Amino acid sequence: MSGIAAVVYRDYRQRITNIGFLFWDLFTPIAYLTLFGTGFERLLTGSFIVDGQVPAYTSFLLPGVIAMTIFGVAMNTSWGFFMDKDSGIFYELLTYPITRRQFLIGKICFNVLLSAVGSLLAIALGVFAMKVQIRWDLLPLTAAAIIVTTAGWFFLLSIFAIRLRRMDSFNTFTSAAYIILMFISTMFYPIAEMPVWFRVTAWFNPMTWQVDLFRFSLLGIGTPSTILLEGAAFVLFTMVCLAFAVRALDRAA
Amino acid sequence: MNAIEVEELRKVYRSNTDDAVRALDGVSFQVPQGCIYGLLGPNGAGKSTLVKILTTITSPTSGRAAVLGRDVALHPLEVRQQIAVVLQQTAVETLLNVQDNLLIYAYLHGIRRREARERLGAVVDEFDLSDQLRETVQDLSIGTKRRVQVAKIFMLDSPVIFLDEATTGMDPLMRRRVMDRIRTEARKGRTVLLTTQVLSEAEQLCDTIMIIDRGRKLAFGTLQDLRRLSEHMFRVNLSFSGGTDGDLVSRLEALKPVELKAEGKTVEMLFRGEQSSLLEKLAEISRSISITQFEVRGAGLEEIFLTLVKHAK
Repeated sequence: MSGIAAVVYRDYRQRITNIGFLFWDLFTPIAYLTLFGTGFERLLTGSFIVDGQVPAYTSFLLPGVIAMTIFGVAMNTSWGFFMDKDSGIFYELLTYPITRRQFLIGKICFNVLLSAVGSLLAIALGVFAMKVQIRWDLLPLTAAAIIVTTAGWFFLLSIFAIRLRRMDSFNTFTSAAYIILMFISTMFYPIAEMPVWFRVTAWFNPMTWQVDLFRFSLLGIGTPSTILLEGAAFVLFTMVCLAFAVRALDRAA
Repeated sequence: MNAIEVEELRKVYRSNTDDAVRALDGVSFQVPQGCIYGLLGPNGAGKSTLVKILTTITSPTSGRAAVLGRDVALHPLEVRQQIAVVLQQTAVETLLNVQDNLLIYAYLHGIRRREARERLGAVVDEFDLSDQLRETVQDLSIGTKRRVQVAKIFMLDSPVIFLDEATTGMDPLMRRRVMDRIRTEARKGRTVLLTTQVLSEAEQLCDTIMIIDRGRKLAFGTLQDLRRLSEHMFRVNLSFSGGTDGDLVSRLEALKPVELKAEGKTVEMLFRGEQSSLLEKLAEISRSISITQFEVRGAGLEEIFLTLVKHAK
């Protein structure tokens, strides 16, 4: 078995020991779409314009929910480093005959699958229960975005999970980061009407790039040139985070 | 060919305060292939840091270390392909069962599924794990977890094995079994570097022993070489019919022992010098105080270790 395949198998065996993980990863975003989406659908639909279109709020929210699913999967996966530290296996893993890069990529593979299943569930709910019109022709772009953005968030959060010694510090950091990243982005509302400081911050937020990518690939909202720039920025962000995560593993001891 | 080569290895840890901790301070040694090499030292001597560098977990500040000719800093992956490691702390997949622990360890070391399953049976039998095979590791006792951790390395044929206080927490029977297995593996040509605080273990197992403290090599050689360091060193155990009062202790201290421990009716002393003259002085003491038991024996590894470490401090 190759190194990456063995890491994927290890993650799979670990994840199936706790169904609670799967519930959090797969069903929480769906609950968000159903409860939050339905509530705000009544309040906001028809009250805002995005790139010349007037979308229903559940349609507008769906890409954000997929981004949320992916961030949640990445958060839980990176949190797994603390379980490895607790069980003592973390340092032993560093002596196995695989590169740090292979180890991190292996951890991503199984979790991309979880992200994809979570995203598909959200899309299915949107299409069949909320009548969201999906651009099926852009599905390969959605798939590519799921892979890259799961990797990007996981590598970013891994840097902190590896470097921080205390789990409560990591939880505080991720909770704070989650709120800032979600709310200073295009996830819940269009940012065109927001104050300048908010818009500038949102433009430098990878969550904005991710949500815009999904909004374009699922609904066709957005201009291709901007989406291309945001996609390239997210790929660069992923590569930089991978380099720092590898460095963090190298310096873990 | 040497399996392990270490030259002037230094490791300095920077802490949040300005103090730098010098964990290794210019250590050099070689371990020939097929040798069982023991690393002895008190807590904080630098043993685990040395193992961490040799197993590529951390990198040295300066100096060079190589495993089977591969530099640990320049070719870490190649080094990791040649080694199996038992670290000091318990390292097991607590959420998985014993079988998954052994199999996943093998898979992560590139062993094919079928081969891993074939090896599993033998390792499980040898380490008495067949009853716990389907049990989740977090439900096992500390000793059994340690057994799983040590059993894992025998799923592999890695030419170099690192054991960092590997038998800690094991019952005496299993400890003996692990020691027998280590001897067998060394006879097959595998090289073993072990750190331990159980001196009898080092005494029974190791071909060569190095004693380190505060990151520096204090002594090394075969057990015979080290014994030569303690020539004219011997331990005396005395039991008295009465208690050991202050007067008796000061009379014994006047004999200038390296170490003196008085407890109840017994006194344990370590001496360096000519045995005959000392025995004469003890005979003189026995004329005024009744000695019920008298034992003299040559210094073992423990005495050598304690003296060297004490002297270094």
